[in-house]
Amino acid sequence: MKQYSKQGLWSLFLVCAFPLHLWTIILAFRDFSWVSERTNSWDAVGVLSYGLIFALIESVAVFLVTILLGFLVSKKWEEDRRNALLGNLVLIASLWAMASYLYFILQVSVSGQTIDFFVSLKHPLRFLYAICLALVGVTVTLPTYLILRSEKFLQFIKGLFERLSLLTVFYLFFDFVGLVIVIIRNV
Amino acid sequence: MKNRFTRRDFLKLAGLLPISIAAPGFVNSLSSMQQTGKPQNVIIIVFDAFSAYDISLYGYQRETTPNIARWAERAAVYHNHHAGGNFTTPGTASLLTGTVPWTHRAFGFPDKVDDIFVNKNIFTTFQNYYRLTYTHNPAVNTVLTQFSGKIDEKVPLEKLFLTNDDFIYKVFGNDEDIALVSWVRAMKRKEDGFAYSLFLSRLYEKQREMLIANLRSKYPGGIPRIAVDNYFLLEDAIDWLAEKLNSIPRPFLGYFHFWPPHDPYVTNQKYYNQFAGDGFRPLPKTLDLFSVEQDNLFEFLLRKRTDYDEDILYVDQEFGRFMDKLDKTGMLENTWVVLTSDHGEMFERGIRGHWTPVLYEPVIRVPLMIFEPGQKSRQDIYASTSAVDVLPTLLHVTGQEPADWSEGTVLPPFAQTYDRVRSLYVVQAFHGEQYSPLTEATVALIVGQYKLMYFFGYEKLGTGNERVELYDINNDPEELNDLSTTKRETTAELLNEIKQKLTEVNEPYLNKN
Repeated sequence: MKQYSKQGLWSLFLVCAFPLHLWTIILAFRDFSWVSERTNSWDAVGVLSYGLIFALIESVAVFLVTILLGFLVSKKWEEDRRNALLGNLVLIASLWAMASYLYFILQVSVSGQTIDFFVSLKHPLRFLYAICLALVGVTVTLPTYLILRSEKFLQFIKGLFERLSLLTVFYLFFDFVGLVIVIIRNV
Repeated sequence: MKNRFTRRDFLKLAGLLPISIAAPGFVNSLSSMQQTGKPQNVIIIVFDAFSAYDISLYGYQRETTPNIARWAERAAVYHNHHAGGNFTTPGTASLLTGTVPWTHRAFGFPDKVDDIFVNKNIFTTFQNYYRLTYTHNPAVNTVLTQFSGKIDEKVPLEKLFLTNDDFIYKVFGNDEDIALVSWVRAMKRKEDGFAYSLFLSRLYEKQREMLIANLRSKYPGGIPRIAVDNYFLLEDAIDWLAEKLNSIPRPFLGYFHFWPPHDPYVTNQKYYNQFAGDGFRPLPKTLDLFSVEQDNLFEFLLRKRTDYDEDILYVDQEFGRFMDKLDKTGMLENTWVVLTSDHGEMFERGIRGHWTPVLYEPVIRVPLMIFEPGQKSRQDIYASTSAVDVLPTLLHVTGQEPADWSEGTVLPPFAQTYDRVRSLYVVQAFHGEQYSPLTEATVALIVGQYKLMYFFGYEKLGTGNERVELYDINNDPEELNDLSTTKRETTAELLNEIKQKLTEVNEPYLNKN
């Protein structure tokens, strides 16, 4: 039995590309006004276009790493389930990466009481890492468990991935437009 | 007797024609060579954002420039020298073209100069010289790239970076500015704490940190850098330059534009905390309309100024080391050296840096020292001078043809005469369109002892959209007493001159809107 079908790999790639493109587009639009003010709107379009190209490259890189991880997943589960596991892992990792950025974007300030609490601990960093590990552990293991054990949850994830994949196809079209813009800007 | 002009006579005269065309330049060259017998080299050293205000040689309270002071004993030292603009692009373009920003049109970042100056700049005038350039600064690189057709060797800026993203310049050479902006936004998390890239940015960061990890102890306040992580060492740049100059053809013209003491003001271990807690208190000045809002603003500016002053110590050390190297090889006997800056930096009135509409002295008064080959004594020049004068002066002292397009003049003591009350302009207009009339800008006009600042078009100015200030910079160098209401006649006269000049420089662009 082949480990992964072409269709399965394509779906997995689309899931990998989704959060990376979404995040790039959100931030590039956020930058649009200051880049326009700095020079002009065409340059702001340029920044977005380069951003999309970089996102595509990152998507390929993340996809390749995910495939390598895929070889570690037992073949005893059917391909859909394994794809769901891997895609889910990428999505959760992306969400955590976004969360770490949101801390700066939303300029979250930690209260003095919280800081005092951490300072009062013997090993504040270790404590912080332990909390993070616990949170990440729960958010990864719980969906993983449900994907492996619950048919209903698996169907939900598959449905979700289908919808996300459709959006990603649009993003890939934007990548193509971005590539054309980058070429125009460089000739 | 037959006295006919024969065909043979005509051909003989025609043969002399090329000589007669070349003769004036040749005679000038001969005069420049008289002292040494061979053409002299020229080195221009620019330290970015180097304000004369913070230089002890010019009277600053902190001892920031002991090495420059040591070398100044062998130079013409200009005490009232002004940049063409208040940040890199206009300041550098004025220096290299000998024209005021409203003439070369490079107002904003990352503007290039008007195409007409591609063939009218310092590199076109020194055409018989080997022309070598290097800069750490991307904005300067943009201008140098524009002039690269007339530069024999333009060393890429990444050459002296410890870590670099030179593939961006290689792959997206025709759009490097925007490609680089996007790359920074995509990969450099440290800039704002976030990036477009969710994963690769972290790997990229780690990889760069590993490359410079062993330098951290030598630069406790951070390794010198441009933007977030284009790391470099000024020591490396100076060592490279001294070595390079020994291996290039003669005569040469070298333009070298180094980043320090520009923000982020990091110095080496030797000078780190040198001025911390020294009790220095700058003169209190009232907050400007364009000041920033920040808690403990005075303390913040003092802290930043201290960092800046410690960075100047680093610059001073390296400039001293560079001159010592040139002296040791005997190059100073046959080389003109110019030390200057593209603009200043300010830490007062609630404003830090130079990206500001104001044109107070700290942001536009920069050092200028000219080291004549073999000079053994110091000459102090107190007349007001401008960056646009550097090009005509260098052409004059090296016996080149004058640049008829330049708006500058030959500086004393090299000129026979010098008009001490000529009009010097400094222009700030980074918000407008490059080839449109100036509608939101600041112009400083310096005539003799007086300096008038004219702000117009800024939304913050409110009704009337204008602001005028007049200072006597000879008797009030700190610009504490605005004389615009007491010396109305002088104010009106200078303001009128600025407005007439604006009408003149805007005129070619009126129909383009």
